Amino acid sequence: MSDQTHMHVDHDIAPGDEEQHSVGGRALGYVVGLGLALLLTATSFFIAGTDLVWQPSIPVALIVLAVAQMGVHLVFFLHITTGPDNTNNVLALAFGLLVVFLVVGGTVWIMAHLNQNMPPMDQIMPMRS
Amino acid sequence: MLGKLDWSAIPFDQPIPLIAGAVVLVGILAVLTWVVVKGHLPYLWHEWITSVDHKRIGVMYILLASVMLLRGGSDAIMMRIQQAIAYQSQGYLPPEHYNQIFSAHGTIMIFFVAMPFVIGLMNLVVPLQLGVRDVAFPTLNSVGFWLTATGALLVNLSLVIGEFARTGWLAFPPLSELSYSPGVGVDYYAWSLQISGVGTLVAGINLVTTVLKLRTKGMNYLRMPMFCWTTLASNLLIVAAFPILTATLAMLLLDRYLGFHFFTNEAGGNVMMFMNLIWAWGHPEVYILVLPAFGIFSEVVSTFSGKALFGYRSMVLATMAICVISFMVWLHHFFTMGAGPDVNAIFGIASMIIAVPTGVKIYNWLFTMYGGRIRFATPMLWAVGFMVTFILGGLTGVLVAVPPADFMLHNSMFLVAHFHNVIIGGVLFGAFAGFEYWFPKAFGFRLDERWGKLAFWFTFTGFYITFVPLYVAGMLGMTRRMQHYDVAEWRPWMIVAAVGMAVLSIGVICQIMQLVVSIRNREALRDRTGDPWDARSLEWATSSPPPVFNFAFHPDVRGEDAYWDMKIHARQQSLEHEELEYHDIEMPRNSPTGFVCAFFATIMGFALIWHIWWMVILGGIGAFATFVVFAWRDHDEYVIPAAEVAAIDRFNLEERRSLVSMAGVI
Repeated sequence: MSDQTHMHVDHDIAPGDEEQHSVGGRALGYVVGLGLALLLTATSFFIAGTDLVWQPSIPVALIVLAVAQMGVHLVFFLHITTGPDNTNNVLALAFGLLVVFLVVGGTVWIMAHLNQNMPPMDQIMPMRS
Repeated sequence: MLGKLDWSAIPFDQPIPLIAGAVVLVGILAVLTWVVVKGHLPYLWHEWITSVDHKRIGVMYILLASVMLLRGGSDAIMMRIQQAIAYQSQGYLPPEHYNQIFSAHGTIMIFFVAMPFVIGLMNLVVPLQLGVRDVAFPTLNSVGFWLTATGALLVNLSLVIGEFARTGWLAFPPLSELSYSPGVGVDYYAWSLQISGVGTLVAGINLVTTVLKLRTKGMNYLRMPMFCWTTLASNLLIVAAFPILTATLAMLLLDRYLGFHFFTNEAGGNVMMFMNLIWAWGHPEVYILVLPAFGIFSEVVSTFSGKALFGYRSMVLATMAICVISFMVWLHHFFTMGAGPDVNAIFGIASMIIAVPTGVKIYNWLFTMYGGRIRFATPMLWAVGFMVTFILGGLTGVLVAVPPADFMLHNSMFLVAHFHNVIIGGVLFGAFAGFEYWFPKAFGFRLDERWGKLAFWFTFTGFYITFVPLYVAGMLGMTRRMQHYDVAEWRPWMIVAAVGMAVLSIGVICQIMQLVVSIRNREALRDRTGDPWDARSLEWATSSPPPVFNFAFHPDVRGEDAYWDMKIHARQQSLEHEELEYHDIEMPRNSPTGFVCAFFATIMGFALIWHIWWMVILGGIGAFATFVVFAWRDHDEYVIPAAEVAAIDRFNLEERRSLVSMAGVI
């Protein structure tokens, strides 16, 4: 099968086939990623317990930090780039995000409507009286 | 020691499953004895059971699907007879048995007939169409197949040891919860789907990777045959949707085994969440099944019309549109459960929209046929039969996509008729078309046309005689899954449907006869050219059956319909004999990993169902050890020397020359 690895029609790389960088360069990338990930994690813990910022902004800040964390993982650990060698990976990520958005968003929406339209019996009874 | 398992698990008081089980057991023992006595065991082990060749695995998938089709079909026959006689009487099936039969029928037909049949065809054909030598992960492919077989085995085991679920094919809670289904039936259902679900997911990942990463020189995305596109779309859906099924069933199992309350009526559980999640998988699932069938019809219609597929790009677009929209319609399975007008309206509209790309496909097939020189060989008959039947099924589908209409028809026999109309008319006809079309490629001889056509006509008419009455009965208010009924108006329709079932069964018998007759006459039906249908894509560019390495050289693709171009090119160049230089070919070694893994998975699944905890641990350790041994292997490839490749390929080329010279003229 080894000859098939040379015959990709487009020059797309799979997760795990790194281009040949020097070990030092690659290690540096991982260290920077680890540093950023730790920084974002520490910030999240700090924000959650602090009273230095306006309290209602804390959930929003945590969401922003979580999204940034995902971004750091994608870039430094999973090596997702916007380059032409990464089309499949980016498309797979986009498809995954779309499906998760549809299923989770749809579920929340549907369940909210079901809960509103079909309350448990003990909550219907008082309305009749 | 043996958990819940004791002698009471064997249904001695129920003659029907016991006799059926005994007959099957005797049959299996007879086949095994024959295999051992005749000395075929080493051949089976080395050439099939441990094979990692995608063609062999594909054939085994289809064999599994065919055997399970007979099992699921027997259930269908029993149900139709029951409803034909159970007017103001109990019929011959007691309710608890009847409920198991309709649950097993649905589960088997979707998970162990339709799924393995389409996955088998994709496995068999896609690497050949892409011009490559195997799938991306050959051993994983074998693991996927054997895990699917494990699931099928567990479902069949439930016939004799214990019971199957009585909950319908999706095991809705709270009925499927421990308080209402204390037996092992739902556990059989859930564990066999969990294990075969792993197999399906593995097959999905494998085929997506194969299409994306392994294509021969010049095989751009927009030069891939339509079947490869639908394979890609269908397997993307498998990868995206099957984890939802696994997670949902895992939650149900946690409820049943560890006292959780995800879907119970008490303690904050929410049964509606199960409906929501199971259909978030369930609707993509129907497109997982039907998209490959669309691909098969595209290949068949184009080949037997002698024309390139009309509107190839719109077909690709329609396929990918269906792939995305199929995730936006799942609520239409529970319009009546109270989500309210806003939600129902949006999902109703989305459900109608998804009919549009499907309509595009129908027109493309019609325009492909228009002006073509159509040959009505058996695969083409199935394709035309599909178009007629699927349009009818699609129209009733758009009808029930209208929420007010759905409120009248929900869970009625009309619905039963609708989904059989699309699944039989779409998926099963597609599977049969693909079976007839690619059989010569897999085995090197064509199937008998006379029996094939008989099988088509009996199945086609039998289908209508069975299911049109069910539409009518649904309109008359008959609900699904009735063990007996007292309404006189329904009776005649149930009797007609039972007659239709008999006609359908004759179709199945013709199909079996076709296989028997064809195997007997195989020398007369031999396909020496590798291209019996004068077809257009690369699987026909190699011999029938293809050598283990598929292609001596990776084909060089210069446009759509790669092999058709090659034939025309070869004729124009009047077939110059150039001496080819052959190279050694490396192929993956066979591996028993899949079989051994599935063996332990079967033990583990059985033990989980019966709460035999020491055996669960044993099976788990065995399966994991198998994986470790495989991961530490030293040699995973073997070399086919250039001389052997040359000998095989020269022989094939010689056989083929006569036909190639006629290309485009036929």
